[in-house]
Amino acid sequence: MEIKVRYFGQLAEFTGKSEEIMTQDFKTLEGLKLFLFDRYPKLKEVHFKMAQDNSIESESSELKGTLIDLLPPFSGG
Amino acid sequence: MSMEERYQRHFQLKEVGKKGQQKLSKAKVLVVGAGGLGCPALQYLTAAGIGTLGIMDPDVVSLSNLQRQILYNENDLGKNKAKCAEKYLNALNNEIHFQSFPFALTHENALNYLSQFDIIVDGTDNFYSRYLISDACLLLQKVMVYGAVFKYEGQVSVFHYQNGPSYRCLFPSPPELGEIPSCSEIGVLGIVPGIIGMYQALEVLKIVLELGEVFNGKLYCINLLNHQTRILDFKKNKEEIAKIKKQDRVFPIANKDCSLDFEVSLAQLSSEEKIIWIDVREEGEVPRLSHLKPLTSALALDSIKDSEEKVIAFCQTGQRSKAFIQKLKKEGIKNCFSLKEGAEQLQIWEKKQISK
Repeated sequence: MEIKVRYFGQLAEFTGKSEEIMTQDFKTLEGLKLFLFDRYPKLKEVHFKMAQDNSIESESSELKGTLIDLLPPFSGG
Repeated sequence: MSMEERYQRHFQLKEVGKKGQQKLSKAKVLVVGAGGLGCPALQYLTAAGIGTLGIMDPDVVSLSNLQRQILYNENDLGKNKAKCAEKYLNALNNEIHFQSFPFALTHENALNYLSQFDIIVDGTDNFYSRYLISDACLLLQKVMVYGAVFKYEGQVSVFHYQNGPSYRCLFPSPPELGEIPSCSEIGVLGIVPGIIGMYQALEVLKIVLELGEVFNGKLYCINLLNHQTRILDFKKNKEEIAKIKKQDRVFPIANKDCSLDFEVSLAQLSSEEKIIWIDVREEGEVPRLSHLKPLTSALALDSIKDSEEKVIAFCQTGQRSKAFIQKLKKEGIKNCFSLKEGAEQLQIWEKKQISK
């Protein structure tokens, strides 16, 4: 299954891209997260939330969506 | 001045009308932080006729603020933002009851001030304040309108609306210190907080007018470089909410990214306030400020422990007084602050106050 992963805020700087397509299979959101940690170790440095198909879910959730968003908190104002 | 004429465009909208205008005039909204987010939010809320508008900000206007904090101009440099904002907003609409608070929201005063309003707009720039506002609003059952920016991106959401989720449902624990850089560290295009602040004002108006859909349980994400927007759903996290409710008071987050609750600057003080001063310097250091009748750092803690008056420590540069106040805080002394400026500036300030 093809999924699109999008990076928000600082995460885009850590990965060097705002989005990418992945074709690997992941059972859970956490599975995808660990894969991304391996590919982009800097991601480990920040807290972020994951959403699939426009819904923020816990990392133990089954990965069923095709659109995954990675969101860090912002503090600027 | 004629209300008919001022709000004519509102009256023409059948969804707003005179009834809606009445709702606006009865609303009590507090904007915490009169900076990049707060300035445009305050302008539109004032123009729209929000009845009671609170403005809270401990900071003074500096030149680097003028790039985005559009209420202020070069004549305001060095003056407190909350007080400056009130002056300009009053000229825009003097039918509004303004309350300016030239000091910081802290875990010691948050419940007291937030309880006086219905809706709180989070226009702050640090996680300490954001978690504080969220937890206090949760305990007081107040609606919080959240907005935050990172470079060219923004986030908007509404918390505790009709028993909806909280900031903690989105981000349960604060990031580590230094994990997420602030605007002062990485910069921001001035118009980005402007747009997000206006979104916050829009949500306030919709909540008061009971119009449309608000971002309740939804995080609005916008990237202003490529115009991509997302509306992400999130659910209430009952465990996180129960945790805050159980503690029944607000605590500072562990990784404090600001020192708002123990530093104070001269621009935040008024001459009418009764202040107990503590001079933490050695005897030979000048200028001496005997007019203020300062206590020395060897004071008996009991004498200030239950003081109703503000306790402020000073030294030559604000460094030693900061360490001293941190010690007092650990001893459980509340309402005590370290002066950001040194004794020399304090002397100039004091002379000005006397000549007023």
